[in-house]
Amino acid sequence: MSAWVIFGQAVAVLVGGGVVGLIYRGLDRKIAARMQGRIGPPIRQPFLDLGKLLVKETVIPKTAVPWVFSAAPFVAVLASFTALLYLPVGPFGPVLEGHGDAILVLYLLAVPALAMALGGFASGSPLGVVGAQRELVMVMSYEFPLAVVLVAVAWRLSELGISPAFSLGKIAGHPLWTEVGPLGVIGLAVLLFVLLAVTPAELAKIPFDIPEAETEIAGGLMVEYSGTYLALFYLADVVRTVVMAALVVAIFAPYGIAGLLGLFGAAATALDFLFWLFKLFFVMVVAVTVVRVAMARLKVDQIARGFWLWGTAVALGGLLLLVLDKVVMG
Amino acid sequence: MIFKTLFSQLLSRPATNKFPAKYMPKSVTKFLSRVEAGKDQIHPPVPVPPKFRGKIAYAKEKCIGCQLCVRVCPAKVIEFKPEEKKIRMHVARCAFCAQCVDACPVGALSLGPDFLLADTDRNSPNLIVE
Amino acid sequence: MGEVFEVPIGPIHPALKEPIRLTFRVRGERIVGVEIRAGFAHRGIEFMGMRQGRNLIQVLYLAERICGICSVSHPIALTQAVERAAGIEVPPRAQYIRVIISELERIHSHLLWAGVAAHELGFDTLLHLTWRVREKVLDILEELTGNRINYAIPIFGGVRRDIAPEQYPKVWEALRYYRGLLEQLLDAFLNDPTVMARTRGVGVLEPKEAEEFCAVGPTARASGLPKDVRQDRPYLAYSDFAVKAITPEDYGLTPIGDVYDKIVVRLLEVGQSLEIIEKALEDMPEGEITSFPKIPALLAHLKKAEGEGLGWHEAPRGELIHYVQLVPGEEAPLVWKVKAPTYSNLLSWRPMFEGQEIADIPIIAACIDPCICCNDRFHIVEGSREKIVAKEELLRLSWEKTRRISGQRGLRDGGKG
Repeated sequence: MSAWVIFGQAVAVLVGGGVVGLIYRGLDRKIAARMQGRIGPPIRQPFLDLGKLLVKETVIPKTAVPWVFSAAPFVAVLASFTALLYLPVGPFGPVLEGHGDAILVLYLLAVPALAMALGGFASGSPLGVVGAQRELVMVMSYEFPLAVVLVAVAWRLSELGISPAFSLGKIAGHPLWTEVGPLGVIGLAVLLFVLLAVTPAELAKIPFDIPEAETEIAGGLMVEYSGTYLALFYLADVVRTVVMAALVVAIFAPYGIAGLLGLFGAAATALDFLFWLFKLFFVMVVAVTVVRVAMARLKVDQIARGFWLWGTAVALGGLLLLVLDKVVMG
Repeated sequence: MIFKTLFSQLLSRPATNKFPAKYMPKSVTKFLSRVEAGKDQIHPPVPVPPKFRGKIAYAKEKCIGCQLCVRVCPAKVIEFKPEEKKIRMHVARCAFCAQCVDACPVGALSLGPDFLLADTDRNSPNLIVE
Repeated sequence: MGEVFEVPIGPIHPALKEPIRLTFRVRGERIVGVEIRAGFAHRGIEFMGMRQGRNLIQVLYLAERICGICSVSHPIALTQAVERAAGIEVPPRAQYIRVIISELERIHSHLLWAGVAAHELGFDTLLHLTWRVREKVLDILEELTGNRINYAIPIFGGVRRDIAPEQYPKVWEALRYYRGLLEQLLDAFLNDPTVMARTRGVGVLEPKEAEEFCAVGPTARASGLPKDVRQDRPYLAYSDFAVKAITPEDYGLTPIGDVYDKIVVRLLEVGQSLEIIEKALEDMPEGEITSFPKIPALLAHLKKAEGEGLGWHEAPRGELIHYVQLVPGEEAPLVWKVKAPTYSNLLSWRPMFEGQEIADIPIIAACIDPCICCNDRFHIVEGSREKIVAKEELLRLSWEKTRRISGQRGLRDGGKG
């Protein structure tokens, strides 16, 4: 494919990812508010918030390390938007198929978290330092279950002879639910559950929003950020939501519905794309919105212990079930 | 856990008492006149119970100038006008305790249902009762 | 181990509803020490009350505005103090009405606290839920007293408003509403796994420490000390109700004194208040509502009064004490001292914070239900010396400053009070 086509696709995905992310953030706030018995902000509120932040003054504290403080938001935004280019978009494959796989996406998902932590450390505020420490502890704890899930799925795919097994295009093209026996289905369900549990941790949402705990450390690692930098972090956050949801959908539910309805051609593609957007929305509601209104905030040692011990154990259990299933199937 | 409450609240009306209009009108007086003409909707404010302690009302003809209300007011709201032997009240300072109402021997004072008294000028006609 | 560094929480902080400064020394996430500096909400209310030219009726409304949440507790304690000093009798119907309004306020205050505690834990859904149900009690109070906060019900010698017969059904309906809701509230707070994870074993105040630090109110009761002013020194009509101090044992738990126990105590007290109000409405005696229906007679009696009086009340936060000293011929009290319940509970923060994490700071700070505006002490720190400023010196300092400011602006001297 010519470079211009790829470039056009990339622009479409990047801009679309940002817009979809902001709309979904608005929907998330509206649904969360209705569940709490409130009216909630209008759905276009994240756009207004982003616009407002962009025109506000950006303050760099005197005690901050200026170049780290200023670079962190840009690194976060670049990494999260770049991750969009390696994910399958609805019925289409990833824009940069063949140039990066799931491992790269995992890495790109971790970079904004680390950038936020660096920004918190560089902010010169004790609350920022506390928040940054917590973010690092949390990243270290949820990465292991996340990696186990991905490794399990990739291993099973490679056993089917599909390679490269970590390529998201291949993963999305061969959903495993129909290829494994009953034990494998249970194993996949367990892995899906672990991935959904890691999603709010990845995005630092309640019950795992301890790095930014509003009532405890007044915004934690974001406390000194304002204006353009805060707008960039906000944008990085909404795009990471889209990336995580797309990852869940690509690994566990990449199905389209156009085939079921007997449509072909452009109509089928459009319908599948809309269905994909709906699936993203559904994953976000289940993993982020409902969870965030139904639970209190957990402490960092509870989170760390929870993911290191229980999260890893459950994920390894899922992997074990997949292995057993393969053995049984022969 | 709490999911039953969450989903039942999702499907029912919010508990919030709405503002009179969804968005701030460019001119409040024009908006209110349009509402009166029936061209616009307004969410009515939450009704207050009887005997609500709102803005003070003064029946001037009953007043005998005994100054009991001046003595008991904790916020120095009431100013005595010696030449008329009547009073002037600065509602901007009023704490709505209604002690003056209880103190008045002839029942010249009462607290009404008005509570939307915000203003930028503490001597505006809405906030001086005499 | 890591080095110790200081984290300031306050005076303005999302965890605190009112200004107070807590400076924590932390090592990583562990708290090794805390310093409490209060006094940011000092408004000089006692000073204003003791000034010449004020009479006790004006002071009553000043007392009411010491706090918005424990708003009727202060007038109840003050009216009792003055009634004891001046020898004023209160008719029984007035006592019952005061009890009803106090208990309604206790329900409102505990529901507010439950919402605030949930918010500190990051559980905003419970905040909106409890504050939504709190609207009912505020509506009833508005119906009975004319306002949602600052009820202006107690007056020296009785109460100012009666409960009319047509208002009884509304109160009964509100009580039924809360009875039906209490189970849900207890379930939502006490059976939720994340709430338990955050509050069990957090901010423990052992019974011995509670005793030593003179904790009062639900803070002490959660540690198992059965201290309740309504039970220990009955006043108003509480002797008719046989109020028993509620401890976590009433829910079947062994008291540890952590935040979970405090939630248990406060929610059970809502149930207890409902019972008291029901009984008060049923047994309400007939009669007048005040011994001094005419204000000039009251003012004249208070002007002649001489003596000192102590008034106490079990506010939603604990034991509240007002002390007045009256001299004949003066309308203003000679001495008026308020001891708020939070003042006794502040020190119990120290053992509660030790060994806990930074993440526990908001919930431990909120668990004693601090009402900082009720505390009226004042500190001046010059360099590293601390001294307590008495009334005369405070007056002198404020006159000096007023003169300074007037001189700068070329205004007339207005500082002589």
